[in-house]
Amino acid sequence: MSAALGTPIQGVTLYSFTRAFHGRRYDLEGLVREVAARGLGPGLEIIGFSSFRGFPHLDEATIDGFRALVAETGLVPTSLAVNTDVGIRRDRLMTDEELVEYMRRQIEAAARLGFPIARVQIGLTPDTMERLLPVAERYGVTLALEVHAHQHAQAPAILRLRDRYDKLGSPLLGFTADWGATVSGFAPSLLEAYRRRGAPPGLLSAVVELWEEYRRQGPPYSEAEHGGRFSAFIELAARHGRPDLGVDMAVNGTGLFGPAPVAGWHEIQPWVRHVHGKFFGIDGTGEEPSVPVRELIALLVGAGYSGAVSSEYEGWHWNSWDDAFDMVAGEQAVQRSAAERAGSRMITDPRQARDLLPAHLARTPA
Amino acid sequence: MISDRLIEQDTLTTDGTRSSVEVRIPWYRALPASCIAGVEFTVDGVTAPPESLTWTMNGRTFGIGELAEHTEEWWFPADSAVVTGALALAPGGEHTVRVGLRLYIPYIVTAHGVLRIEEHDTKTMEAQVRR
Repeated sequence: MSAALGTPIQGVTLYSFTRAFHGRRYDLEGLVREVAARGLGPGLEIIGFSSFRGFPHLDEATIDGFRALVAETGLVPTSLAVNTDVGIRRDRLMTDEELVEYMRRQIEAAARLGFPIARVQIGLTPDTMERLLPVAERYGVTLALEVHAHQHAQAPAILRLRDRYDKLGSPLLGFTADWGATVSGFAPSLLEAYRRRGAPPGLLSAVVELWEEYRRQGPPYSEAEHGGRFSAFIELAARHGRPDLGVDMAVNGTGLFGPAPVAGWHEIQPWVRHVHGKFFGIDGTGEEPSVPVRELIALLVGAGYSGAVSSEYEGWHWNSWDDAFDMVAGEQAVQRSAAERAGSRMITDPRQARDLLPAHLARTPA
Repeated sequence: MISDRLIEQDTLTTDGTRSSVEVRIPWYRALPASCIAGVEFTVDGVTAPPESLTWTMNGRTFGIGELAEHTEEWWFPADSAVVTGALALAPGGEHTVRVGLRLYIPYIVTAHGVLRIEEHDTKTMEAQVRR
């Protein structure tokens, strides 16, 4: 444990506003300006393939325009989320050589756009991460592999990566901790969405009971265990006469609401370079009813974490009645309150964020 | 995901023998043509023959069977694509349009292979004459 308390940097990923962007209410520039105007930064995370037409091939005008926009709005680029698209071809998966080059182009785009971190995904193995280390060094970009449900910080695939990182000893290889791995309840807003789709009350209570049972058992430690849970949600929906809801319940129940304990993050905390402050809604009391945001912030503060937390609202999948900007503002208020209760604070000043983030990323895990 | 936006309202057009509708990606990020796994285009209960379907995006038109080969042409989340098929329609009047779409999600590989999702949408609209 670090002696000094951490001061996490507040921020947001534009993924939170997918509905607004997809619905053409905002273009990229409009969204970035809205984030700045509402004070939802200073940290700014973007998904390359969501926001930049032609990604990862970006012309100079696009790069210059984005950098000028960032400078004007005062936001601080944190992570560019890039994708491990191993299954892009229909005849076969990518070879490791193809995958390394596919990632290289995206990592180069991150550097050109001014992002110090590239969020990468679980399709990368310890071997491919090791092969990408020279790429990370060449571009000066930290590769932070996302630990996302159904994975978790104590899953074998994640521990194998951690052990390779430990052996390689570079600050440029680490993790993005996604809070969706450590959820404390089945999101009430999703239950409301199922209710609006006519799901019977018996099915809704059974789904909650099944999820709670898995939480008592702990997160899955094998793909077979994960697959068994996925199937159980599908079967449950069918038994209650709503087979059409089965896959949705399975995807959300296992892939969005991960049931791992918060303390599990300690297993990889020294290698956590970036955080996705995943959440699904803010209720009438101003709290997140199904993600233990306060506990998660307290853990980061206690661990001396002064990297970024990208507020990541994912309730938009099913919630068409609440405003995503209000939701993000609500979660960030909980984060700030939690950091203060833990004896520290969230960084909201862009200048402080610009100083702290490089220092955090330069730290080699002890 | 966001399947209620799959069909763009009021974009049904016809030249009498072939009809078209604009579609939006039911996903949060761009995917390449090679990840478009299948399309169904139905108007008033009549489904266009699969071999008659074409897909137009970024100014290029592909036969549905050709999409699988193209990893270089991307469908951006703010852009419409146009689905066209052999469907004889009289202009004017209300028509019920249904589109089904299957997409591969290339970064999610399960025990059953690359994840494939299915989305569909139904909307009612008039057919405009395409010249």
